[in-house]
Amino acid sequence: MTIPDETLRALVLEALASNRDAAALDLRVGVLNAVVHLGGEAPSAGLRDQAEAIAAAIAGVRGVVNRIEAPGAPSPARTIHIPLAEQEREEP
Amino acid sequence: MTSSVASARAARVFSALPPFAGLDAATLEAIAQAATPRHFDAGRVIYLEGEPATTLYVLETGWVRATRMSPDGREQALSVLRAPDIFGDIAVFIGSPYPGTVVALEDVEAWAIDGGTFLGLVARHPTLARAVIRHLAGRVLYFIGLVEDLSLRSVEARLASTLLKNAERREGRLIVPRRPWTTFDQMAARLGTVRDVLSRALHALEEEHLLKVERHQIVLLDPEGLARRGNPE
Repeated sequence: MTIPDETLRALVLEALASNRDAAALDLRVGVLNAVVHLGGEAPSAGLRDQAEAIAAAIAGVRGVVNRIEAPGAPSPARTIHIPLAEQEREEP
Repeated sequence: MTSSVASARAARVFSALPPFAGLDAATLEAIAQAATPRHFDAGRVIYLEGEPATTLYVLETGWVRATRMSPDGREQALSVLRAPDIFGDIAVFIGSPYPGTVVALEDVEAWAIDGGTFLGLVARHPTLARAVIRHLAGRVLYFIGLVEDLSLRSVEARLASTLLKNAERREGRLIVPRRPWTTFDQMAARLGTVRDVLSRALHALEEEHLLKVERHQIVLLDPEGLARRGNPE
């Protein structure tokens, strides 16, 4: 069964809040069509990657678009193409 | 509440929006009072696809780009907006999350209006409601055109018509200036394609002497020929 975007967003926010490093970042999270969009600022590229990994690990997430700003990270305004996991089909 | 100086500035910005141009002073003042000035550095995210839509924005200066992730993971540009314009409004009106991500392409000055407050103003000011309908009708027509472009026209045709729409006359030549944020990837996303296909399309039009690609601009050598390519029979 497909998990609603609203639920996925709540799960991502909860997972980020329960991680000591990520919780301090005050990240922005959007979810549409099971794709997570991350924004905000991180003090290091490592923390930026960590936040992405936390979101990607949530069951039902098809992919993560990481626009978190961090030293050395690519611009959040760049054009992004990412591989997405197959979307689960609804039972007829 | 916004100061009277800022409020007068906001009212000027709102009255410059074509659909809002005919609004009476009292309505403009009411919108301006509800608006808060915001600055976004170039490259900053203004809002993300799928975030709760709490705010709509009126662009005072600068350019922003709205994009949406396609089902196959490719970023599709929905629109590139320049001041004065309004964005974030559709999601606010229907109470859904933002349907796309908006980023500042250059330093941007904007006015943020709380969605609930704006809906309250629409309910109290019929002239504002009519202006909003005009604005949304314009957006519907724009997106009908975008759907038609993406589904029915070739990349070369889309490129030709997009270049013509964005052309400026300078020193007797029709040119499309290349802005600092105009990358091949972004141009391709705007046309619903990828950079290799865009590159081939540009090369094809250049081979036909319809345009010339220079370092900082594209010169349109044959606007009529481009118009034919943009609207083939």
